[in-house]
Amino acid sequence: MQLSKGVSWRAVRQNWLLIAALILLLIFPFLVGALTNTDPTARRGLAVYWQGIAIELLIYGILTMSYNLLFGFTGVISFGHALFFGLAGYLMGGFQRAPELAGSGLAIGIVVALSVCAALGLLIGTATLRLKGVYFAIFTLAIAEMAYIFLSRYEPTGSEDGFTLGALPEWFDPTRNRIVFYYIVAAIFIFTFILIRRLMESPTGAVLLAIRENENRARTIGFNTLTYKLLAIVLAGVLAGMAGILFTLLNKKVGPEMLGTAYTVNPLLMTIIGGAGTLLGPVIGAVGLRLLELQLRNVQIALGDAVLDIGRALPIILGALFILVVLVFPYGIVGTFTRWRLNRRARSAERAAKQAEALKSVS
Amino acid sequence: MSENILEVCGIHTYIGQFHILEGVTFSVPKGSITVLLGRNGAGKTTTLKSILGITPPREGKIVFDGQDLAGKPSFKIAQLGIGYVPEHRAIFRDLTVAENLQIAERRKGDLAARQDFIFELFPDLKKHYRLAGGKLSGGQQQMLAIARALVPQNRLLLIDEPSEGLAPIIIEALMHAIRRLSESATVLLVEQNFRMASRLADRYVIVDDGASVQSGLMADLTNDQATIQRYLGAA
Repeated sequence: MQLSKGVSWRAVRQNWLLIAALILLLIFPFLVGALTNTDPTARRGLAVYWQGIAIELLIYGILTMSYNLLFGFTGVISFGHALFFGLAGYLMGGFQRAPELAGSGLAIGIVVALSVCAALGLLIGTATLRLKGVYFAIFTLAIAEMAYIFLSRYEPTGSEDGFTLGALPEWFDPTRNRIVFYYIVAAIFIFTFILIRRLMESPTGAVLLAIRENENRARTIGFNTLTYKLLAIVLAGVLAGMAGILFTLLNKKVGPEMLGTAYTVNPLLMTIIGGAGTLLGPVIGAVGLRLLELQLRNVQIALGDAVLDIGRALPIILGALFILVVLVFPYGIVGTFTRWRLNRRARSAERAAKQAEALKSVS
Repeated sequence: MSENILEVCGIHTYIGQFHILEGVTFSVPKGSITVLLGRNGAGKTTTLKSILGITPPREGKIVFDGQDLAGKPSFKIAQLGIGYVPEHRAIFRDLTVAENLQIAERRKGDLAARQDFIFELFPDLKKHYRLAGGKLSGGQQQMLAIARALVPQNRLLLIDEPSEGLAPIIIEALMHAIRRLSESATVLLVEQNFRMASRLADRYVIVDDGASVQSGLMADLTNDQATIQRYLGAA
């Protein structure tokens, strides 16, 4: 059935989750506003607080989707993904607060930061993608750590403290006008999701999956696998850079911790927990894990005279959770569910074929 | 027989420090089915991998349809029109049958042009078009691996141990398919199953201990029990 020109019920059914997520993202500020009885367009209040949480979750979602493109879909393990995240923050921040650039510093900073991320991805990829598995991972870790050490000692960028941004335009300022910033981040999040989905549904995506499964085999079919891996690392670098820019704008501050291993390890864990190589898995991993972390960090439980500080024990709890999830969901939450569904479908098709065969032999 | 599509001249191939091929020489006439015979570990698979540049030879020369393959990476060699069906049913297990075939397209429309022929050879693949490759049976996976090499217009097909671990009835179907596909491409086969090889191929090359020791017409070999016993251990 045709809904209107070019839109069919089938397309709606196939994309119902995406459409539902889109609607939820659109109405979220007003929904929370209604539930908490606060104004979502105000400067303060519970609705605005939850918008901040949602922005952070969406940024983590973008970062994790970018990591999944590299690790989950292409099979390239990088331990230096934070390099793109942090460096983009530094570059955008540096240009944004440069007085000589007046009002255009922010736009120039974003363009420069994303261009540098693309160029850096191309450079690192060209120089190192011939290295196999763990050697590539270690090389990327070394580069990210070098950048981290350099920036934490480089005085013009504030050494360990980093630096704060200059004043942002009011309409764009996450403190003064959070709802607009929320919608900008949500739009970029949706764009990232659709971009990766379109890529993975294209012939190029199939080649990336083939490389993940067996690079030699893909090469003997006639694919220059290096080119495809370069495309993945450049795109993943640009998207991680975008996440870094948004994170810097949200906090109005950039520091060397953004280049630290936490911003590589967290997306890695979020990808594995959600389901590496699935579209939705990294988003679920990022949102679930970060939300859990945010909710538990201030929890204290009184046990008689003693107080159990869940916040301080959080790394242990998250570590245990990671072990548990990996044991119960070996392909991540979404990956395991998808495999279970496909196996069930294959078994029922097999049963139907056997029944048809039996009926044929009887008749 | 007409001119040769492939000439392998005295190739020496090393894997790490091991000298695997120590002088393999043979030629493959256009339109033929040529089989590489030899015991386990003789160097048959390494010969195919050397042709395709996966383990490039350090010495010797490989010429495909007049072009020297020296120094070419394997994807460039494949693009010249060489299809490779590796041993152990090397398909992409996570991709569906459709995706396994689509990925092999070198030009848009390759699959559309060849799919009738492919489905006529392997009707099971049409039946399981949307199923993940890993869910197919062993025989179906082998069919998919061969079908993948048929998608582009390859002029030479390198097929490694197609009958390995398959039931006799499936082997028969594969033999029929290889015979059919040899009508449009030259086939160089590695096969341990001498019965299958002798029924299928019109030429043979025996590889022993990393070197080619004898080649000729298959009809002559089937009458030469002494050679079969000596190099293949089969009667």
